[in-house]
Amino acid sequence: MLYDILALVLAIFVAPVAGGLLRGVDRRLTARLQGRIGPPILQPFYDFFKLLGKSRLVSSRENLIWAWAYLVLTVAALILFSLGQDLLVIFFMLAFAGASLAFGAFSVKSPYSHFGAYREIMQMLSYEPILLLAAVAIFLETGSFMVADVLSHGGPLLVFLPLAFLAVLIALGIKMRKSPFDIAASEHAHQEIVRGVYTEYSGPFLALIELTHWYELMLILGFIALFWAQPLWLGALLALGCFILEILIDNIAARLRWSWMVGVSWVLGVGLLLANIVIIQVAGYGPGL
Amino acid sequence: MPGENLIAVLILLPFAVGLLGLAVRDEKVRRPLVIAASLALMAASVALLFTVLGRGTVTFSPSEAWEMPITILDFAMLAYFLYIGITSRHVLVTALTLGQWVLFPLLKYSVLPAGYEVERVFRVDLLAVVMGLIISVVGSLIVIYALDYMREHEKHLKLSRTRQPVFFLFLIGLLGAMNGLVFANSILWLFFFWEITTLCCYHLIRHDLTSEAQASALRALWMNLVGAVACVLGMILVFRSAGTLALDEISAAGTVGPALLLPLALFCLTGFTKAAQVPWQSWLLGAMVAPTPVSALLHSSTMVKAGVYLVLRLAPSFEGTLLSAAVAVFGAFVFMTTALVAISQRVSKRVLAYSTISNLGLIICCAGINTDLAIAAAIALIIFHAVSKGMLFLAVGAIEQQIESRDIEDMEGLVSRLPLITGAAIVGMITMLFLPFGAVFAKWASMEAAAVPISPWFPLVVTFLAVGSAATLVFWSKWIGRLMSNLIVARKEEKAERRPFFAYGALLVLVSTAVVLSVFIVPLMSLLVMPAGQEMGYGVPFDTSGWQLRTALGTFSPWPLFAAVLVAIVLPALFIRVRRDELQPAYLCGENVAADPVSFRAVADVPVTAATGGVYWQRAFGENQLNNWINGAGILLLAALFAGVMM
Repeated sequence: MLYDILALVLAIFVAPVAGGLLRGVDRRLTARLQGRIGPPILQPFYDFFKLLGKSRLVSSRENLIWAWAYLVLTVAALILFSLGQDLLVIFFMLAFAGASLAFGAFSVKSPYSHFGAYREIMQMLSYEPILLLAAVAIFLETGSFMVADVLSHGGPLLVFLPLAFLAVLIALGIKMRKSPFDIAASEHAHQEIVRGVYTEYSGPFLALIELTHWYELMLILGFIALFWAQPLWLGALLALGCFILEILIDNIAARLRWSWMVGVSWVLGVGLLLANIVIIQVAGYGPGL
Repeated sequence: MPGENLIAVLILLPFAVGLLGLAVRDEKVRRPLVIAASLALMAASVALLFTVLGRGTVTFSPSEAWEMPITILDFAMLAYFLYIGITSRHVLVTALTLGQWVLFPLLKYSVLPAGYEVERVFRVDLLAVVMGLIISVVGSLIVIYALDYMREHEKHLKLSRTRQPVFFLFLIGLLGAMNGLVFANSILWLFFFWEITTLCCYHLIRHDLTSEAQASALRALWMNLVGAVACVLGMILVFRSAGTLALDEISAAGTVGPALLLPLALFCLTGFTKAAQVPWQSWLLGAMVAPTPVSALLHSSTMVKAGVYLVLRLAPSFEGTLLSAAVAVFGAFVFMTTALVAISQRVSKRVLAYSTISNLGLIICCAGINTDLAIAAAIALIIFHAVSKGMLFLAVGAIEQQIESRDIEDMEGLVSRLPLITGAAIVGMITMLFLPFGAVFAKWASMEAAAVPISPWFPLVVTFLAVGSAATLVFWSKWIGRLMSNLIVARKEEKAERRPFFAYGALLVLVSTAVVLSVFIVPLMSLLVMPAGQEMGYGVPFDTSGWQLRTALGTFSPWPLFAAVLVAIVLPALFIRVRRDELQPAYLCGENVAADPVSFRAVADVPVTAATGGVYWQRAFGENQLNNWINGAGILLLAALFAGVMM
């Protein structure tokens, strides 16, 4: 019980702070890679509170409802994760959250917003099979879909699931909306005026979406940490390493077409996972067998 | 009322009402008659549920006097199919019927001993009760809806003489035939009702008598006759090796020997044709030309459900065999590929049709995975798919009658024009698509069932399921997006939403059923679905203590998930308010025209109206691109299934 309350506090209050800080690191690191000085690490929080104070400009009421839904459903997924719940349920919840972002963009009559929504859906088509199959691969190693059981599982999963891990990195790139996968909206240093799925959001509701991204980032990094769950600090380091790797890739890659993204995720991502699952099956290890 | 009488009512009442309607022909009589009969069917099916829950499985054999008329009717139907084949010069229908003219007498008079009948002709266990409830409750609601729909439909067609009596005869008759089919324990009787469903389906599809409708009806007929031939062949082989045509005796034997695998594979093939699995999906898509209540009925509670029911019913007898693994791979393949094709569809009913085929594939896949968990998932999916899909067809039919189009592109922003029905449709889609609703619970359960390495083919099955699941997300989300976009206030000249009482009533009852069943999924699973699986010889996959569904692998807790959805969507929908002065036109990358919120000044200050359109990715997921591959692969998989079984 006490542990559950602690987990809830972590998920609801600590995760966004950590996520915001990581976004600050991201912006600073990106700036350095581009030869700029970059903003202070706390800049995402300054932006967030500034946005909160702006007056509301609204294109449609539904737009706001779905932005709110995006936040609540993402937080719900993170809470499920921190309470050690079922991985597939968490990913289905995350899919609902992602679709809410697209629904919000659809509920305004703006072509840019609609383009973004369709591309957001395409991004989901790309990473969803990877996440689901990664959960299956983890199940085959640990004998359970429950995060709690995966955490208490002894050996480091990364050793047995190296190919699955590579596939999850593709999903991480898409979920972080980093180049070459920032298809639904450009993420790059916010230089573009027309930002696809976010075009119609401003002020407090843009802040809400930014906050959701922080939660989302923590959830997906938490999932990566599961690949080295014992001791957990190693898993955290692993997740941090992947985060920095994504920033590097982001800065050396250009945005590409959606068809390329789906192709890479399905052929490479799903292929790697399938290969890993078959290897587990043939080698016959893991209590799931 | 004892169980036997309830069975008789559920099978015979629909036919009686249909024939009475045909004799009287007066709408003033037909409407109350149909409504009364529908209510009686619902009541009888619920009564049967309590009878079976209380007394256990009900068995019943009609007197031997029935044998002769049934045989005559069997042959009369074959004669009628032959007549259709010859008069419409359809080679396949003719040839397949002739094949049955050879095989069926062979079975009846050479293979079977004279006067053979199984001991328990009808046997109603919980699985049959679940099917009976779906047929009688969802099906009856669709029939009630049809009362309003067909009136409007015929007004639109400007017919000089109403054809509704014939229509309702086949529509209600289909319910009776389906009840007979799922209650039958004797495969001979099952086959008899099976043929009646084929007959009803043929007449319902060609109801409007356009050349397209007639062609589609003939296609549905020949494809269903393929299944019928396979079924008769299966009966001959199964009697040769097992000496019985009773379903319970076939599956009671536990996992069968290799000699029975071929007839079981043939029965599965029969199920696949009726469930419109690849490569037979085209008959169900062609059936879309029929009036909407027909599509709703065929897709949700009857016809295609007969196909998956048969496979599920036989599942215990091929548990752990190669056939089982092949069925799982095949079903998962159909689930994935038809979901992918659905992405490219812009005709609403075709999206629904592909989604139906896809979900049926998932049910068949679960039957093939054949574990405690998979069978529970399959039964749950049958229930939730019937309710949600029936509702979605009814909504689309009502929308079509009001906007005179079934194109998703014409439904842009429909939620502001027809708020009630579009809102219901969106809720219906969400119940098919997202947590914590039942259909997705079933998807979750099947995914976890597929992840357990019980056959060497499980990596393939689970991969198909993962990709198919993502594809499902795409086509529903896109459609929901189209319905919600363009929220400009309804223009004055547009007609207000017509809300016919019976049509809207049936629809709203189905939406609420989908939501309520999802909220109470734990009791539903523990009282009905899992006991149904147990009666088939499976174990109890879920620990239901604490209002959770806990398996050895994972946990599904519906109520916290519902709380999350409540806070995420329902509360903001109720409480988020926007002041008029906060409303701004969308950003259009130019100077907005003050008077028109969707126009902007572009080059040379010319006003341009912004337009949005759906994306269907034809070049990637179009039928032209994928169909040949899918059908080819489907045929190969089926060939592999038979080759594997015969080796």
